[in-house]
Amino acid sequence: MDIFFQQLVNGLTIGSIFALVALGYTMVYGIMKLINFAHGDLVAMSAFVGLSVYDQFLGGTTNSLVAVLTIFAATGVIIAMAGIILERVAYRPLRNAPRLSAVVSALGASLVIQNGIMLIWGPRMRFFPADILPATTWNIGGVYISFIQVVILVVSLLIMAGLIFFIDKTRVGAAIRATSIDHDASRLMGIDVNRIITLIFVIGTFLGAVGGLFIGLYYRGINFNMGWNYGLYAFVAAIIGGIGNIPGAMVGGMLLGIFKAFIAGYVSSTWADAFTFTLLIAILVVRPTGIMGERVAEKV
Amino acid sequence: MKKSPNKKIGYTVFILAMLLFPALANPKWLAIGSTFLIFSVVGLSEDIILGKGGMFNMGHALFFGIGAYTAAIANHTFGIPILYAIPLAILIPALCGIILAGPIIHLRGDYLLVATIGFNIVFLQLVENDIFGITGGPNGIFGLDTPTFLGFDLASPTAIYYLGVAVLLLTFYVMANLDKSKAGRALHYLRLDDLAANSIGINTRGYKIFAFGLGAGIAGLAGVLLAIQYSAVSPEAFNFMQSVLFFSIVLVGGSSLPGILMGTFVMFVLPEIFRDFATWRYFIFGFAMILAMILRPEGIFPARFGKIPDYFKKG
Repeated sequence: MDIFFQQLVNGLTIGSIFALVALGYTMVYGIMKLINFAHGDLVAMSAFVGLSVYDQFLGGTTNSLVAVLTIFAATGVIIAMAGIILERVAYRPLRNAPRLSAVVSALGASLVIQNGIMLIWGPRMRFFPADILPATTWNIGGVYISFIQVVILVVSLLIMAGLIFFIDKTRVGAAIRATSIDHDASRLMGIDVNRIITLIFVIGTFLGAVGGLFIGLYYRGINFNMGWNYGLYAFVAAIIGGIGNIPGAMVGGMLLGIFKAFIAGYVSSTWADAFTFTLLIAILVVRPTGIMGERVAEKV
Repeated sequence: MKKSPNKKIGYTVFILAMLLFPALANPKWLAIGSTFLIFSVVGLSEDIILGKGGMFNMGHALFFGIGAYTAAIANHTFGIPILYAIPLAILIPALCGIILAGPIIHLRGDYLLVATIGFNIVFLQLVENDIFGITGGPNGIFGLDTPTFLGFDLASPTAIYYLGVAVLLLTFYVMANLDKSKAGRALHYLRLDDLAANSIGINTRGYKIFAFGLGAGIAGLAGVLLAIQYSAVSPEAFNFMQSVLFFSIVLVGGSSLPGILMGTFVMFVLPEIFRDFATWRYFIFGFAMILAMILRPEGIFPARFGKIPDYFKKG
C-alpha cells in the first residue's frame, strides 16, 4: 500500500505541472481554435531562463524566498513577452487564414524556439542547483513528501483557483468567455478581441513558465528538447479533459499525472508513453470530445 | 482533368531527369537521390490521407515504419528474401491503417490529429522496448540480406535508385488514377463537406478508411526501400518528428505533386547535402514554415482547378 500512496503523491505533483501547462493549451484553443504547438517549447525555455536568472543575479543564494520569487517573477515576465511576440509574429497574420496553415505555423514556431534554446544554451543537459529550496522531506506513515512537492501542489491549486475565479467572476473573464464563443459578436459588444487574445497568451505562457520552473526545481535536469515531451503530455491532458475547457484541463492534468505515476510504480517507466497514449485513444473512442468536453453539433 | 501542355512538358522533363540522373552522379549523390525518391513516396502517400481525404494524420511515420520493420523482421527473423517480403510489407501496413483508423475515423479534426500522434508514439515505444524480441530494441535491426533478382545484385546504389524511380512512378500512376476514379471523387467531396457527402449516399466512413489503407500501404512500400537502402532499420527514423515533417511537407507544398516533391527536397535532401548545417537546420526550417504560411496560406504550389482542400479556405 505504501507504493500506492507514494505514487499518488508523486502523481499529484507531476499532475499539477501537467495541469498548469495544459491550461496554456486549452485557453489558446478555446479562444483561437488553434493547437499552440510552441507552448511546450516556451515551457522548456522558461526553465532555461529561470536557471540563467539564478546564475547571473542570485548565484549562490540558497533557501531564500526572495530569490525564488525573483526567479518566478523575472521568468514569468520574460516568457509572457515571448508569448506576445509569438502571437504577433506567427499567429496574428494567419488569423483569417485556413486552420491548418496556423497549425503549420505553430509547428514552425515550435522548431524555432526549441532550436533557439539549443543554439543559446547548448545541446547538453543543464541542472538546477539542489539548494534553491530547502531539501526537507517528511515521512508520513511510510510515504515521503518533500518540501518542493508541497510547494508545487499548494501553488498550483492556488493559481488554478485564482484562474477559475478570474474567468467566472470578473468582467474581463466574462469578455474572455464571450470571445471564445464568437469573435464577431464580442466585437459588436465592444470587446477588443485583439487585447483579449494577447491577454490569453500572457496568462497561458505565464502559467506555462510556472510549470517550466517547477519542472526545473523538481526534476533538476533540463534539456532543450524537453518541451515536446512535457508539451505533448500537457496537451494530452487538455484533450482528455476536453480541449477548451479550463476545469477539464486541470482534471485531465491531475488524472494523467496519477496514471503516469502508477504505470511507473507498478509496471515500468519505459512503458509509460505506450500506456498513456493507449489510454488517450481509448478515451477518445468512447468520448470523442474528452471527459468534460461539450458535445458540439455537427453542423449549424 | 486535362493536363495543360506546360504541365505535360514539366512531367516529361522531370521523369527524364530522374532516369538520367545516375549517369551523372557518383555513389554519394546517388544515395541522396534514392533518399529523395523514398521520402517523396511517403510524402505523396501522406497526401492521399491529409490532402485528398482531408484527415489530419500526424502519425504517418508509423506506416512507413511498419513497412520497414515488416520487411526487416521477415528477412532477419524468418529468413525470407527481402524482395519477397515486399507484398507483406505493403499488406501489413495497409491492414494496420484500416484497423487503426476504424475506431478513430469519426473524430473531429484536432482529436484525430492527437489520436494519430498517439499511434505513432505507441508504435515507437513497442519497437524500442523490443516487443516479442524481434524488433532489436533501440538499435533496430541491421545486417539485412542484400536483395538479388534474376542474378542481378540489387544492393548497388544504382539498382536501389532505379527501384526508387519505379516505386515513385507507380505512386504517380496510383494517384493520377485516384483523381479520376470514383473513390477520388468521393474523397474530394467528403473533404469539402463530410455531412453533405454522407447525406447523398456516399459511404464517407468507408472511403476515409480506404484512404488510410491506401496511404499506409504505399508508405509501407517506401519503408521496404529504406530498409534495403541501409540494409538496416532503426526506431528514430520513424519517430513523431518525422511524422511532423511529412505533415508539414504536404501543407507547405500545397497538397500538389510539385509542392510535395519540393517540400521533400527541402526537408530531407538539403540536410543530407549540407551536413554542417545540421545544428541550424530546424531553426531555419521553422522560420521558413512560418513565412511560407503567412505569404502563401494555401501552400507554395496549391492544388488547383477545384481541387483546393476545404481547410485551405476560410471557415
